[in-house]
Amino acid sequence: MERPQNSVVRTPIDSIVAQRRSKNKSYRQSYRSCLGAASRLGHTPGWTARRLNTSRRTKSHNITEKVNPEDLALLVKTEWQLSYVTPLYQFRHTQLRSYSRQLSAFITAEKQQGLAVEVEGAQTSFRVSFSVVQGLGETDDDAETVLVQIHSKPVFAGKDEAQKLVWSGWLTCINGNPEYLHSLPKDFTCLPLFGSRGAENLTSLVKSWFQQTFDCCFGPLEINQTCLQWLAALWTNCHIESSIQHLKMIWTLPVEPPLQITYTVNPQDAWELWNSVRTPSLESREEEETARSIDIEEVTRFMQGLMSHFYRHFRLDLSAGRLSQVSSALGSAKFSGRVKMSNSRYVLTTLSLLTECALLKMPI
Amino acid sequence: MSFLKSLRKYQFEAGTPVLGNDELEKNLVQVEKVAYSQGLPPEAVSIMLEFAMSLRMGTSPCVRVLKCLIPASVVPQEAVVRAVVWLSVGKMPISTQVLFIKWVLTVFDMIDAKDQLRAIYGFIFNFVTDENLCPFICHLLYLLTRKESVRVFRVRKLLELQSKLGRQSFLLHLLSLYKVFCPELVTLSIPSRMKSGFRNHISPWQSALIAVQKRNGLQGASSMSLVTNKDKTNPRKRKHCHLEFPALIPALNKEAQSEQSSSRRMVPLVELHSFAQLLENMHRIELPAQMGSLLGSSLALQYLDCVQDESALLRLNFWLGYAFHEEFLFCGDGGPSQTSEEALQFLNKLLSAQHFLQEGFSSSEVFLYKFLNVWDGSLLRPQILGLLSNIPVVPSSQIRRLLFEPLMQLFFTSSLFFKCGLMECLNNMLLKWLTWHSIYALEDDLDISLNSHTSINMTLSGFKDSVMELIHFVGRLASVGLQLEGCHCLLLSFVLDFYETVCDTFLKYGLPLIVMPPAGVFYPALFATDPVSVDRLAYIMHRYKVNLTSAKSQEKVTEQAFHISRQTFREFNHYVVVMVNCLWNSRMFHPGMGVQLGEELLLKSNVPQYGSSFDLVHHPAFMSYAVNFHQKCWPGKKDMDLNSIKHSKPWSWYLEYLFTQGYDGLKHFVQSNISWQLKADDGQVDAQRR
Repeated sequence: MERPQNSVVRTPIDSIVAQRRSKNKSYRQSYRSCLGAASRLGHTPGWTARRLNTSRRTKSHNITEKVNPEDLALLVKTEWQLSYVTPLYQFRHTQLRSYSRQLSAFITAEKQQGLAVEVEGAQTSFRVSFSVVQGLGETDDDAETVLVQIHSKPVFAGKDEAQKLVWSGWLTCINGNPEYLHSLPKDFTCLPLFGSRGAENLTSLVKSWFQQTFDCCFGPLEINQTCLQWLAALWTNCHIESSIQHLKMIWTLPVEPPLQITYTVNPQDAWELWNSVRTPSLESREEEETARSIDIEEVTRFMQGLMSHFYRHFRLDLSAGRLSQVSSALGSAKFSGRVKMSNSRYVLTTLSLLTECALLKMPI
Repeated sequence: MSFLKSLRKYQFEAGTPVLGNDELEKNLVQVEKVAYSQGLPPEAVSIMLEFAMSLRMGTSPCVRVLKCLIPASVVPQEAVVRAVVWLSVGKMPISTQVLFIKWVLTVFDMIDAKDQLRAIYGFIFNFVTDENLCPFICHLLYLLTRKESVRVFRVRKLLELQSKLGRQSFLLHLLSLYKVFCPELVTLSIPSRMKSGFRNHISPWQSALIAVQKRNGLQGASSMSLVTNKDKTNPRKRKHCHLEFPALIPALNKEAQSEQSSSRRMVPLVELHSFAQLLENMHRIELPAQMGSLLGSSLALQYLDCVQDESALLRLNFWLGYAFHEEFLFCGDGGPSQTSEEALQFLNKLLSAQHFLQEGFSSSEVFLYKFLNVWDGSLLRPQILGLLSNIPVVPSSQIRRLLFEPLMQLFFTSSLFFKCGLMECLNNMLLKWLTWHSIYALEDDLDISLNSHTSINMTLSGFKDSVMELIHFVGRLASVGLQLEGCHCLLLSFVLDFYETVCDTFLKYGLPLIVMPPAGVFYPALFATDPVSVDRLAYIMHRYKVNLTSAKSQEKVTEQAFHISRQTFREFNHYVVVMVNCLWNSRMFHPGMGVQLGEELLLKSNVPQYGSSFDLVHHPAFMSYAVNFHQKCWPGKKDMDLNSIKHSKPWSWYLEYLFTQGYDGLKHFVQSNISWQLKADDGQVDAQRR
């Protein structure tokens, strides 16, 4: 039974057809479920039980060839506060210049409540620049990373003093779950991981501008226990290439008063422990050894080894507590969602892990 | 009419002296009298306005005339346009100019058309530079502004004024309207203390105008009420800002949007204030910046019902899902606050939106599947159950994992009231599923999958499976729940509510599916101590019979009709036999009945005539009626013998008596299942079996 298809624009003449059609559509949509068909009040991109990957590849990326070192330098060696972001609606990488103008006008207007600001006008006290960090994405599905920087002149600065960088932040997606990314309509750009650095009030202004402009939502992204364990293992795994110097972990134990334990491991000891828990591959050729992927079982064994060592010495079972911070010479990560990447070689590994965490937080 | 004629001569009297002009004085008094009593007709307004603004007789009569310009019905647009032109002649004192603009503002809604006024928007805009006129001109411009009137040079002019005058609310409000139309040109943020809109200028005409309108029976609201209607924002700082519905603001990011905005003139949703306007602009409504804002306004909700754009709905769901997750699942510090007033309001608003749309949002569905696993069953129970009852049909392959398992755990570990609430919720869920089916199945083919050109994988049989799963699930819950709660009559009542829906699936909702209640529901209802439950059971059995009969007759007529399994008929017949034997024939424990007890055990119980202990006379639910009836029937009798009611005549009287007490269910049941004639020896009859 074919129904007329030409009633997209509703005119009174074919209103009956249109009505039927619409009901028809609604019928389908009503019988939708978030598990199956497209829905009326929302289509749900493949609702699967998303979870962290249980295995990841560790090949050290030749990132410096792909990405402009200047851009890369902006990402490393500073601590970022992480958030997750729902997909951006109608975000265009080609419109960055216009976004810069809009955001700077927005910030200026918000800063001086009750004064209107011309968007095209040049003389705002905040200069915002949007830029693309080319080449950071791992797959074709990953949207290009966007870097936002805000420059401003200090209030008591001299006339000829240059504007200083007061805030920076980025939105990224590295190795995003292809199934999820494909399920989104093309109006949406998925850049689920947001890192920011700078004054809190600027962060919230930037967030609210994004919210209003791209109809997205920002929520805090904490780095959970599993993720921190992953980072500890991934860093230790790199020790041969670049020394981790130390592996420091902070555990919080639920006792009264709360007990915080800082557990620092000698890098060589950590490396040996790590090597001992690695499942030996059948053909252990040297170059393949480093490129081999890591399984979650290995990570768990590594952490158990560390904890049982601690128990042997102090009779304290760390598994009762919560791992709240991990740091080494390669970077640091805190449960509260603050992360620092100190070595540019491992940026991608870290960011893909964090992208996964952010995607886990997506409401649909 | 003579009044108008006398007015017309004002048009020709130029240059006549004012002082000592008795005739003018006389005429003005006349005009004032008419104006204040019944208002001036349109033509009179035209003439007098022209007379005043042209300053034909100087300024003093001008002010006097302006003050009494109270229109009876409408103000001709031409007159206003002409008067505005007179403004620029420049002879008029500034206070009179202000008075005139105030008058225009007061009667703005009574001006018969606005197109010419809008055509001279630029002309009016020029007056904005006048320091004294500026506040009033801004207000007038605010009322006249359309998207096409917002231009870069005007924005610049206003910003220039702003830098001169500082933060003036009239400038801000005009600019904020500009922002609504062209967010790409101007941006601003209005501090809350400035949100009040244009100051309600004290207008000398207001009270007279209202009086005249009242007298003329007109309901024209004056334009003074047309200030920016920002809703009063709660100054209280909210802890959970994610539970706030976003403000309805127009989309900022327009360059990126498709060409449709350029080819068609779009109207931002914020600009619409009434349902009529909504209908008028239905085809060119521009969605707001944040879709979540649609939930906060009732007008926008009307529009949401027609939104077909998949992306727009996805945006809405992203926001909603985010709010749910942040509030109820990700809450880092110690779980959701038990007494969160915001959460309550949020959910209530959402529920009323879903109620209005008669559909749930898929993000709330996704959220519920996760939340049910961590819910304690008491936090915001009515709201959560309300959301749950809105979820659409769940495929039968998933329904167990997503719905039944968490609900079962909650059901068996929670209080009686939760059990009742859940029963009600599941009943509503079933009702909604059935209603969808009955609405849409009527117009499509029975099997939905036949003509689907979009991806839908719910076939009629799939739908039937889901409904059947749900009914069986509730049957299991109810059986065990009734046992756990000692057949509590409140719970029983909710269970019977559910079966009142179930027994009518075929006739009421056109779904070819009939499921009988399990024994764990049937017997507690039959042996309930309250007559209402027994009566409702009787009604339900009656409806089952009607449904089954009609299904069977349809099966005979149309070939394609569905097949009801023998098992269903067998179950039904069995229940009917049990009911009739128990209530009517006093053959409670006869072999082959549902309840079987050993003969010696029954004898041991020392209950005399145990077979009749649940007939309509001895049934604990009806005993009091029997006693009452006995007293009425044989008032003198000292010793009560309830068995005497069972004789043919008193039995029929007794039944009549019960029926008059409102037990319609019993009445229907008896009428449809028992053919009984009065026999001389005994009134006992057999059940009619299908």
